Amino acid sequence: MKTKWFEEVGQKRGDNFISSRIRLARNWEEYAFPNRLNPVQASELIGRMQYGLDDVESVEGNHFVTTTMDKLGDLDRLAFKERRLINSTVAEAKTPMGLMISEKEDVSILLNGDDHLRIQYLAPGMQLKEIWKRADKLDDYISSRFNYAFDEKYGYLTSYPTNVGTGMRANVVVHLPLLNKTNEIKELKNGLEKFGVSIRSVYGNDRDNFGSLYDISNTKTLGMSEKEIVDLVVRTSSQLNDREKQIREAGLERNYIVKQDEVFRAYGILKYARTMRLNNALASLSQVRMGLVDGLIELEDGEECSIYKLMLEVQAGNLMLHSERPLDRRELEAFRADYLRHHLPKIKEA
Amino acid sequence: MLCEKCKIREANIQVVEVVGGVKSEHFLCAQCASEMDLSVTAPGMGKEMPLAKLLSSLLSQTMQSEKKDECANVVCPTCGMTYEQFIKESKFGCADCYKVFDLLIGDNIRQLQGSGEHHGKRPKYISGDIPQKVKEDIEESMKENVPESEYLDRLIELRKELRQAVAEEDFEKAAKLRDEIKETEEKAADSALKGGGQDED
Repeated sequence: MKTKWFEEVGQKRGDNFISSRIRLARNWEEYAFPNRLNPVQASELIGRMQYGLDDVESVEGNHFVTTTMDKLGDLDRLAFKERRLINSTVAEAKTPMGLMISEKEDVSILLNGDDHLRIQYLAPGMQLKEIWKRADKLDDYISSRFNYAFDEKYGYLTSYPTNVGTGMRANVVVHLPLLNKTNEIKELKNGLEKFGVSIRSVYGNDRDNFGSLYDISNTKTLGMSEKEIVDLVVRTSSQLNDREKQIREAGLERNYIVKQDEVFRAYGILKYARTMRLNNALASLSQVRMGLVDGLIELEDGEECSIYKLMLEVQAGNLMLHSERPLDRRELEAFRADYLRHHLPKIKEA
Repeated sequence: MLCEKCKIREANIQVVEVVGGVKSEHFLCAQCASEMDLSVTAPGMGKEMPLAKLLSSLLSQTMQSEKKDECANVVCPTCGMTYEQFIKESKFGCADCYKVFDLLIGDNIRQLQGSGEHHGKRPKYISGDIPQKVKEDIEESMKENVPESEYLDRLIELRKELRQAVAEEDFEKAAKLRDEIKETEEKAADSALKGGGQDED
C-alpha cells in the first residue's frame, strides 16, 4: 500500500504547519445542479463524468480508485470523513455520488455532491502554493472535457452563492498549543474576520480546542483571484506560526523543566493508559508533538513517526476499521489506548 | 447601528429567532452572527456552510417587504427553482438561476462576498474554443466509454436547446422543451429498468 499524504506530516523543528488544502467547486453546464437532479439524471451525470475522467491519471501521475458512495458502508463513510476526503453532509447523504481518490489520498474528486465536481488537494505541511498549481492544472484538464458553468460577472457558478466566483477554499491547518491557551487567539479570530479569513478549531469547539489544531481559510470566494486567496491564507497562517514560535521560545527560556515535564507526562499517559477518550488522546498527542518540535524530547535513533497521523487514526471510525468489528464506547476507549501504546514511537530516556 | 453582541462592528444582519412562538429580533455583525451556532437549526450541515445559512436569514429579512409576493412567484425556467425555495435552502438549482434571480439577490451576494464581480481564472476551454485536435480525442474517448442509451443523445440535444432558449429569453419554447426532456428522461428510466431485468433468467 502506498504511503498516505498524512503519514508524511512530520515534526520538524520550529514548524507548526500540519496540512494544506485546496478545494474547487465546479459544475457542468449541461446539467442542473445536484439538488435539482432526479436519481436517474444524477446517475447519468456520474457515469458520464467518470468515463470522461478515465485518464485523469495521465495528468496527475497518481493511481486513482473510482467508486460510488452507495458502495460505501456507514463505517467507511465515517472513516473517510475523519481523513478529510468527504464532509459530513456528504457522509450522511443518500443521493447518488461518485468518488475518485488517488492512492495517496491527496487528490480526490467528488461527483454530484453539493456541486457536480469538488476537486480537493491535500498536502503535508505548508504547501498551499504548490497544490494550487496542481489543482489549477487538473482543473484545466477537466475543463477541456466538460464545459463548466461559468459567467463573466459571477465566475464559476456553484449551487451555494457562498462559493461562487473562484469556487475555491484554501485551508492551512496549524498546530498552536500555546496560543490556544491565551486570549490572544480569540482576539486574532475577530480581527482576521475583517480581512476575510476564518480561524476554526479542527477538533472540539471555540472554547475547548482538543489537539490545538486550527484551520485557517478564506471566507470569500468572489472578487479575489485564486493567487490572492492563496497568498492571504499563507500570510495569515505564517504569522500565526511565527507568533506561536515566539511564545514557545519565551516559555522555554523561563521554565524549561516545567515544559519538559508536561511533555513527558503526556507521553507517559499515552504510553501507559488502559482506556482513552478521544479528547484526552488528542490533548496528549498535541503536547508530545510540541515537545518534538521544540526538541524537549527526542525519538530513539531510527524511529519515525507522524503525530498527526495518530491524531487521525485514533478517531472512532478509523479505529473501528482497524479493529475490523464494531465497538461500543467502552471497548472503543480500551482499543484506542491499546492502539496508541503500540503505535507511539520510542523516545530517548534522557 | 452597532452589533448588539460585540458593540464594535456595524450590524448588517438581522436574525429573527422564534422560540416557543415568541419572536425576538437581533441585530448582529457578520462575525458575531457566524459565531452563533446556526447549525443547531440545521443538523447535518457540514462545517463548510455557516455562511450559506446566513444568507438564508439575510434574505428572509429583506423579503418582509411588499415585494415579497411578486418575488415569491419568480421561477427559473430551466430547473423550476422558485425564489421562495431558494431562500429556504440558500442553494441555486442550476447555472441559469444566477441570471433569473440576479436582480433579487445580486445585492445580497455583494454584501456577503464583499464584491459582486469575479477576478479569478477563467476556464481554459469555453464551449467553442476547444482546439479541434483536443475535441476529437475527447469525443473519441467519450464515445468508447459512454454507456449506450438510445435516449442519451436526444437528451443531450434537448438540454442544449433548452439552454439556448433560456439565453434568448424564449420562455414559451423553454417550457415546451422542459416537458419534452422530462418525458424523454422517463422513457430512458423505463428502458434502463427493463434492461436491468434482462440477466434475471
